[in-house]
Amino acid sequence: MKQPIEELARNFDFHGKALDDAFGTYQRLRQECPVGHSDREGGFWFFSRYDHVFKIEHDTSTFSSAQGVLLPPFYNPRPMIPIETDPPMLAKYRRILIDMFSPKTVDAVTPFVTKVANDLLDKFADDTGADVAEKFARPLPMIVFCSLAGFPSEDYDRFQDWVERIIYGRTSDPEVAKRAVAEVYAYFEQLFELRQQEPPREDVMGRLLVAKVDGRPLTVEERLDIAFLALLGGLETTAWAIRSNLWYLAQHPDDRRRLAEDPSLIPMAVEEFLRCLSPVQTMVRTVTKDVEFEGASLSTGDKVVIVYGSANRDEDKFEAPDEIRIDREDNPHLAFGIGPHRCLGANLARREVTVALGEFLRRIPEFRFADGEPPVWHGIGPLPMVFGD
Amino acid sequence: MKVTVDREACQGHNRCYLLCPQVFDVDDEGYAFVRVEVVPQEFERKVQLAARNCPERAIKIETSDQG
Repeated sequence: MKQPIEELARNFDFHGKALDDAFGTYQRLRQECPVGHSDREGGFWFFSRYDHVFKIEHDTSTFSSAQGVLLPPFYNPRPMIPIETDPPMLAKYRRILIDMFSPKTVDAVTPFVTKVANDLLDKFADDTGADVAEKFARPLPMIVFCSLAGFPSEDYDRFQDWVERIIYGRTSDPEVAKRAVAEVYAYFEQLFELRQQEPPREDVMGRLLVAKVDGRPLTVEERLDIAFLALLGGLETTAWAIRSNLWYLAQHPDDRRRLAEDPSLIPMAVEEFLRCLSPVQTMVRTVTKDVEFEGASLSTGDKVVIVYGSANRDEDKFEAPDEIRIDREDNPHLAFGIGPHRCLGANLARREVTVALGEFLRRIPEFRFADGEPPVWHGIGPLPMVFGD
Repeated sequence: MKVTVDREACQGHNRCYLLCPQVFDVDDEGYAFVRVEVVPQEFERKVQLAARNCPERAIKIETSDQG
């Protein structure tokens, strides 16, 4: 028997196990309760249609990011920069890093990404199988991003551990997340001090040491608040995307073979995977004034959850939205957000995923899940595969 | 066919540049602009595709009888 819609809405959640059947939930919400209120996480409104997300994202004065964009938060001591800032500072902060993630910069680092993918594949491509999350999906963005950011490669295990404790720990134990956050800040404080003793490098850390905003250098706090976001934003999301794409391809040999035979189809497939299996299913805004919006009476201070994962399957925008069609031509999805907060790392993420899939398929064209419990589509957990037909 | 990018609306998603780099270029920050305002016939379909894939709806197409 179907859960009554009022109950579904009141209990709407978007973490962990709730994501197992996210898409079924979203479909019901869009059809029966596209604008609703959940009692979880201290209470929030949710908006699940494409049109809602478009409007909210473009109205930064009503829907502020400055009081946090996550529920539960990462427990960062100050707003993360630039994601938890509003105009006019938002664009000024973005300008500091935006050229480092432009398409042309990403084109220039593509050979490096390709090398990283192949170095990782060298370690397991000839085996009978592997946990491709542990051996490929997770380390690839780690190595690529840390190099671009200027995070020392010898600290990979620490980054991995912090990312897990903060992103996944926060939902079960805030104290776990808080301790990890404190460790990250202490780490970066030391790293900036070290870097200040040397000539500035051409990486994110180096850029933050020389950058100016409003004609003055960044403060120590601003640098930390940006570096923290870079660490949290640059690793886990891309790993999730690579993993979820391989998860899908393991189960769909026809699509897999099409892409293996013609890698020029991969970029379009990546857009479809971004639409349907996106790492960032939601983001949060805070209402700054009492306002009627899409039938909801919002009050100052209310939390609003934008459900990108649902907007990306909105029947009003996408034909047969719950079908993954790797050759879908009309695909203006919102996986990287929209408006002035559009994900700064989007071009890099796209390229990492495209190269990851291309190289994986080139070297391991046939693969399926190993026997046992089928893995869930979401997260960065194990993805054990067997190779060959 | 004529095409323009609304620079105010562009947020640098770069779908256009990925789909049709022959017509769309990007600056150092990743914001799009058109290389040519009048679209060569062989790229008309890709330009329409780019417009449909811009989440910001920043790409405007004008068609006349002459194309």
